[in-house]
Amino acid sequence: MSNDVLDAIRKRRVVREMTDEPVTQEQLEQILDAGRWAPTGGNLRQNRFVVVQDEKIKRLIYQVSPGMFQRPPAIILICSDLQLAIDHQLGEDKPTFLMDVGKAAQNMALAAHSLGLATGPVTSFSQTAVSRILNLPETYVPHMFLCLGHAAPVPQFNVRAWQRITWRDLTSYDRFPSGSGGG
Amino acid sequence: MAKKAGKRVISEDQAVELLALFVSSAQLLMSEPAHYGPLRLLTATERLSAMMLERASPETRPFLELAIERIPQMHMQMSDVEAYSAGLEELNAAIGECLVRRAGLE
Repeated sequence: MSNDVLDAIRKRRVVREMTDEPVTQEQLEQILDAGRWAPTGGNLRQNRFVVVQDEKIKRLIYQVSPGMFQRPPAIILICSDLQLAIDHQLGEDKPTFLMDVGKAAQNMALAAHSLGLATGPVTSFSQTAVSRILNLPETYVPHMFLCLGHAAPVPQFNVRAWQRITWRDLTSYDRFPSGSGGG
Repeated sequence: MAKKAGKRVISEDQAVELLALFVSSAQLLMSEPAHYGPLRLLTATERLSAMMLERASPETRPFLELAIERIPQMHMQMSDVEAYSAGLEELNAAIGECLVRRAGLE
């Protein structure tokens, strides 16, 4: 079975080397809108996006982001606004916030792919230094950079190469047999 | 040798860039798997090599060129311990060669 959505899911790849070709404002807005449509726990909508295109600021971010191998034309930082957690008396370290960041990132990565663009997520960066560089509000926690641009025509590396697996390798149905663990 | 030793091959801006990479890597490595340590060190090596290349001496350039070419390939081989070790062996042989040449031993 195939359709545009399934094709995009299957063909999107993490890209760690990008060209200098810019991303248009229209493309950027489409991608941010896709991020906005991602579901959030309790419909709190606590994800916040910071777009960085200024060369000087991108360079500073690169310097405190050991996991950033790209030099992308645009970067989207996905943050959580903890003020909402405080306002709704939710735990500030609730994993829901991280899940919401992941859902927004995947929506944006798929949207970018559908527009002919490449993305690469980066979570290995100093949150402390990035907060200072971007002068983030105190309640914003930076979680992930989504590097955005055009894939360079070179092999892209995987941090960890796995043997090819299918959904069957990951999936079980109903209850595990006795003796499989559990309580 | 004295002239070579005193030659400035990176700018203050570039040095600060490396300092930022070192301290941010140190913070991240507190919660990252052990094998990310070599990755971060090699990333720093690659970035420093690229910064130095333009102004480096002929004795040093071969190592820098190897690091710039080889380290991105090694990133692609991270899960292949044998290939990764071979890359480290190659880089260490090259830095040994560089040290011998710079010291004028051969």
